[in-house]
Amino acid sequence: MSEKIRYGFYSGCCFQGADERFFQILQDVFAKVDVELELIVDAVCCGSGVIEERSELTSLAVNAKNMAHAEQMGLPLYTPCSTCYNVIANAQKRMQEDPAVHAQVNEILAEQGLEYKGTCKITHTLWVFAQDVGLDKLKERITNPLNGLRVASYYGCHTRNPADIQGYESADNPTSLEDILEVLGVQIVDYDTKDDCCGYHLAWPNNKLNMQMTSNVLEGAHTKDVDMLVTSCPLCFKSMDGTQAKALAQTGKNFQLPVLFLPELVGLACGMSAEDMMLRYHGVPVNIRL
Amino acid sequence: MNATITPDRKSILANIRIQRFTPGEHKSAFYDNFKVNVETGMTVLEVLRLIKNTQDSSLTFRAFCRSKICGSCSVRVNGKPLLACSTQLMPILDDFKQESVIIQPMRNMPVLRDLVVDIDPVIEKLAKMHPYIMENRGRIPETLEQESLMSRQELTKFDYITDCILCGSCYSACSAASADPNYAGPLTLGKAYRFSADVRDSFKGERMQAAVDQGLWSCAQCRKCINVCPKDTRPAISIQRLRKMSIDDGIHDTPGSRRAKAYTDDVAKYGQVNKPMLPVIVNGPKGWAAIEAADNYLIKHGIEPTHQVCTLDGQSSTQKIYAKVKELESRGENKT
Repeated sequence: MSEKIRYGFYSGCCFQGADERFFQILQDVFAKVDVELELIVDAVCCGSGVIEERSELTSLAVNAKNMAHAEQMGLPLYTPCSTCYNVIANAQKRMQEDPAVHAQVNEILAEQGLEYKGTCKITHTLWVFAQDVGLDKLKERITNPLNGLRVASYYGCHTRNPADIQGYESADNPTSLEDILEVLGVQIVDYDTKDDCCGYHLAWPNNKLNMQMTSNVLEGAHTKDVDMLVTSCPLCFKSMDGTQAKALAQTGKNFQLPVLFLPELVGLACGMSAEDMMLRYHGVPVNIRL
Repeated sequence: MNATITPDRKSILANIRIQRFTPGEHKSAFYDNFKVNVETGMTVLEVLRLIKNTQDSSLTFRAFCRSKICGSCSVRVNGKPLLACSTQLMPILDDFKQESVIIQPMRNMPVLRDLVVDIDPVIEKLAKMHPYIMENRGRIPETLEQESLMSRQELTKFDYITDCILCGSCYSACSAASADPNYAGPLTLGKAYRFSADVRDSFKGERMQAAVDQGLWSCAQCRKCINVCPKDTRPAISIQRLRKMSIDDGIHDTPGSRRAKAYTDDVAKYGQVNKPMLPVIVNGPKGWAAIEAADNYLIKHGIEPTHQVCTLDGQSSTQKIYAKVKELESRGENKT
């Protein structure tokens, strides 16, 4: 039995309601590749970049608190959510660049006996699989290679932009998602809209535009005759699976395209069943017989 | 001579795929392939010029200053908008591990010919945003000899945007601009913030109205504009700040400003965004339709719907953080 890789698990806000199942799914899939998640208990919501619209300092302080807890646990902070990754990494960068802000944030945290040292490492599902676990080990654990499945890969925006929030791979030509998918055995299909934004964060301020953007991305993939679209971002997943029917109806399109969250597909390739992955909860039915 | 200052020079026979199109002459855009010996240090513009001079003189592109200052040579290379004059091609070939690149005109703007686009529609949107200073009489000095001075702190609020050269890279990268032709786009809203944040200006109200009308809340904060900007002007950050400015000025009746309030208050209250009740908080009573739809979705999948937010444990200390920040901000001592 090889050694476990451990992370401080920052859950974010997206796994509420029907998506609560992903807590379990993530832990089960990670267990297959010897990864252990330890919940950061005292964490709070990162504010998804919206708190900045009221007060930037609040957002920095709240996310410094999240990182400070991970530092106390002595573990890297892992978040499955791309937006949480973006916001927390951005806060980290901002405080690195401006020591005066860092000092002020620590002054605020000091009242709770917390200190954000700035040493916290932040990571995302993509790099847990592609780099920490490694593609070789992932390959060993695959018992059900998904050969021949035509898949459109979709990163979403928040693990890629801006370029300097991550040091794991090239921002203009990221390959981690495709590397993982290739190991799973699928055939990756290139499509025009893969770099476009799904507009999830417009769901509240401008829903109509959100639907249009989601529909654009889906249509780009659909025209390439893919079996499914796979995304590493749980919010893109919500947008493209949960609201797909509405988006396509509003934009006058008539098709359906199954969308999978990356850990689900990894789980299936590692021999877990559609029942284990709770695929029945998807908005768009997923009919995999592989 | 000295390996540390002289980079390894290499040369690759690369295939440069260039999108060609002349309206009225061609039915649709097509690709031309040119073989070019790309050497270390060559810019995209040098490659384009070499092709025009030695292979096809009809290739059309726009370029002027060759110094990253006029903003006229922006094109897309492998999908990413950039300035042809200030971007070397070899690092891109290395990054993509390919011996070919695709050069296309910018997106979201009509193509005039080959790589030349018409940027006028963007400039027209900018013109509607009142991109100029209307004097703030409180800042006009008593005598003609005095200057209207600004403190360093006042300047840092917006000085990073003054570098914008209107190259349109951010507009090309923006998915919201391609989905909604009426959306103003990142550079336009960035400029609106730049002038509104200027202490010498007194036209913030009109500009805010123009910004809200042209899609202040249509930015999805995907942050691609920050990634592609050759001058590091961070339009998405300016949009966040402009939103804050509009809320501080009392524009509370937009779904976006209600969302901002809901997120900020919820995190203090529950340590978490109250997702189940968000539709009502943001959209008022008509949000109940969305909640019922969500409930029906859950019931259909055999899950008991709940309107309870799943509280996170950190919320009690968060309230103290909020209080402390508020105290600092009310005294104007925040360092952000």
